[in-house]
Amino acid sequence: MLRSFSPGVWLVLLLALGSTLLIAFLPIAPRPGMDLWVFDRNHAETANLIAADWNRAHPEIPVQVSLLAGGAIQARMLSAFYSDTPVGDMIEVERSMIGQIFAGPIEDVGFTDLTGRLNCGGLRDKINAPSFSPWTRQGHVFGLPHDVHPVMLLYRSDLVEAAGIDVSQIETWDDYFRLMRPLQVDLDGDGRPDRYLLASSPTNLFNHELLLMQAGGGFFDANARPTLNAPLNARVIARLATWYAGPGRVTNEATAGTASALRLILDGYVVGILCPDWMAGTLRTSLPELAGKFKFMPLPAWEKGGRRTSVLGGTMLGITKASPHQEAAWAFAQQLYLSPTTAARLFEHALIVTPIKANWSAAIYDRPDPYFSKQPVGRMFLNLAPDVPVRTSSPFYTQAQGAFNLAVIQLCHYTDAHHISDPALLVPEAQRLLDGAQAELLRLIHRNIFLRPASP
Amino acid sequence: MKASRSFSEWTPWLFLAPYLLIFGTFVAWPLTRSLVLAFEQTYGPKTTAFVGLLNFQFVLHDPLFWTAVRNTVLFTLAAAVTQIPAALGLALLLNRPDIRGRRLFRLIFFTPSIVGLAFVAIIFTLLLEKRTGFVNSSLHSLFPVWDPDFPWLESYVMPSLIAAALWLSAGFYMVYFLAALQNVPAELIDAAHIDGAGPWQRFRHVTLPEIRPVLNIITLLVVTGSLQLFELPYLFYNDTAGNGPENHALTIVTYLYQTGFRTGDLGYASAIGWVLTLVLVGFALLQRRMTQRGES
Repeated sequence: MLRSFSPGVWLVLLLALGSTLLIAFLPIAPRPGMDLWVFDRNHAETANLIAADWNRAHPEIPVQVSLLAGGAIQARMLSAFYSDTPVGDMIEVERSMIGQIFAGPIEDVGFTDLTGRLNCGGLRDKINAPSFSPWTRQGHVFGLPHDVHPVMLLYRSDLVEAAGIDVSQIETWDDYFRLMRPLQVDLDGDGRPDRYLLASSPTNLFNHELLLMQAGGGFFDANARPTLNAPLNARVIARLATWYAGPGRVTNEATAGTASALRLILDGYVVGILCPDWMAGTLRTSLPELAGKFKFMPLPAWEKGGRRTSVLGGTMLGITKASPHQEAAWAFAQQLYLSPTTAARLFEHALIVTPIKANWSAAIYDRPDPYFSKQPVGRMFLNLAPDVPVRTSSPFYTQAQGAFNLAVIQLCHYTDAHHISDPALLVPEAQRLLDGAQAELLRLIHRNIFLRPASP
Repeated sequence: MKASRSFSEWTPWLFLAPYLLIFGTFVAWPLTRSLVLAFEQTYGPKTTAFVGLLNFQFVLHDPLFWTAVRNTVLFTLAAAVTQIPAALGLALLLNRPDIRGRRLFRLIFFTPSIVGLAFVAIIFTLLLEKRTGFVNSSLHSLFPVWDPDFPWLESYVMPSLIAAALWLSAGFYMVYFLAALQNVPAELIDAAHIDGAGPWQRFRHVTLPEIRPVLNIITLLVVTGSLQLFELPYLFYNDTAGNGPENHALTIVTYLYQTGFRTGDLGYASAIGWVLTLVLVGFALLQRRMTQRGES
């Protein structure tokens, strides 16, 4: 048989065999030290600065920082947790990824439980308490919080002041809409408003959630049980529906994030924007034309004396259980996240305030920002940091968000169809829709035999 | 003689080996694993239990799955009804020798498929935006009564997706039809013309039978591609993980993706995947049977 092969066949066989042997036996030296995976360029630049210091002090266990796309981190991290494929020693995880990481028994979470380390030496008390909540499951903390992300109301001070509106009189959302109402005007005479009082819409699920949390509601309780149909949630969406729809509509979509939204903001299409610290940084970079035309105020409360902030987004740094360098990774994680340099860079580049309380006294946060009409934006965000709502993570977060959002949209249709502007009249329908959303979510959760309630 | 026989027995396998190895590793094994997974439920990375047909039973009673099926079927029908006639129409038009600048038009119509799906999704969301979008701002300029905040993307989810898919695909399938039309024997057309057949009769009784094999292939491509719709709604409605307002953009593959990769319920996602596979195989068989009947 072998003699029948032509030289060409022999060549192909030799090439195949040679390349296979080369790949199989090529010595690949394992990279010394630790890998840190991050998904944001600013985070990577800061981490590289801290890593350079670390690598000088610890040449035996250097840190390499890898900047990866968020989706790539998610896929590779989950593959590692499910199939024990290679993974970074430390990973920055964005809020939307954590629910899936927390699926399963607590001992199967792929990140190291940091609770003991945080409690030892009082480190936990040095960090803004609510910032731990998304990274906590059943009292166990699996990551160091990177940020706080408090939300304020950003408003077009040029328009508001030109209209002679005194924002110091605003304490509640009702005050805000009542005082700002003269600004919702038809500028081109076509009979439709060309400016709205708040950037949001029935499909903006991020705004729904942050407003819901501000009011004290939420999708899950502290034990990750769904609470979509809590009466408070029904009252909140009844009020939201009168903002979004019906004869008293005061909102339209222009939340920063797309080019068209930035265009609308630039054109003065909306007076107010629900704005976390990171979004303020984005706006400052994207819309330099509006320098000096914005000001912040704490979110108007739902009721007098109520919470004046909320929260949107978040990132943590976790140490993977697979890392053979647990102690070194913990030491580096502290050096990176507790460092005043990191806090200062984070604020200078992205306007993000640190959750590390010891760094809150830094002068940088008191600096007037010319872009935001010389307000000390850092200090304003930090003053609200201890009051940001606590959040619970669940693998069913996306479904909860979807079911809740569906209820809001349907309630807006109902509001439009019945021309309702009084929230009290919408509460029964809101409750009915949320009961349906809760039942649907429970049905999805209980599909999994591991998550069904125990039989009596 | 013996050496020659063994050569003929082993040589094909030797040459097939690399393909079989790759196919086995990256297709056959994952398929088998997903079939096993479809009969299991998972809880986190380590906990698994065999549940028999439970996942498939749940699929049949899952309203979200049926919403996804309804949306997918609607999109598929609309895609077939719009993309195939549009592609054929463009091809017939650009196959006429009296059209000036045919090559330029062919390039223009084919360009969206070069640009790619992600860009088409971004372009369409920009076109259909409220107030700043080209469609609304143009209509408002032409007809001041038109609402510049008309919510195309919120209230007309499926028409927006169908329009984007049409723009993306019509030019691509047009190329197939053009190739087929250029193979229709001119003498047949001429003979029909001499026999007094009008343009419609020539198309119906000469051109269409000649291009039927290509038409069948394109129908299969449009239908199977549409049944697997994922990227377009996912990019259009990224903030809702592809669901769109009121789940109007939720497709079977989007639901599979969300279940498997957002919730981590790999067993249920596998069951959805196998149901979709059965639908696709069923359609392919049906289409093959219809084709064979048409040919006979």
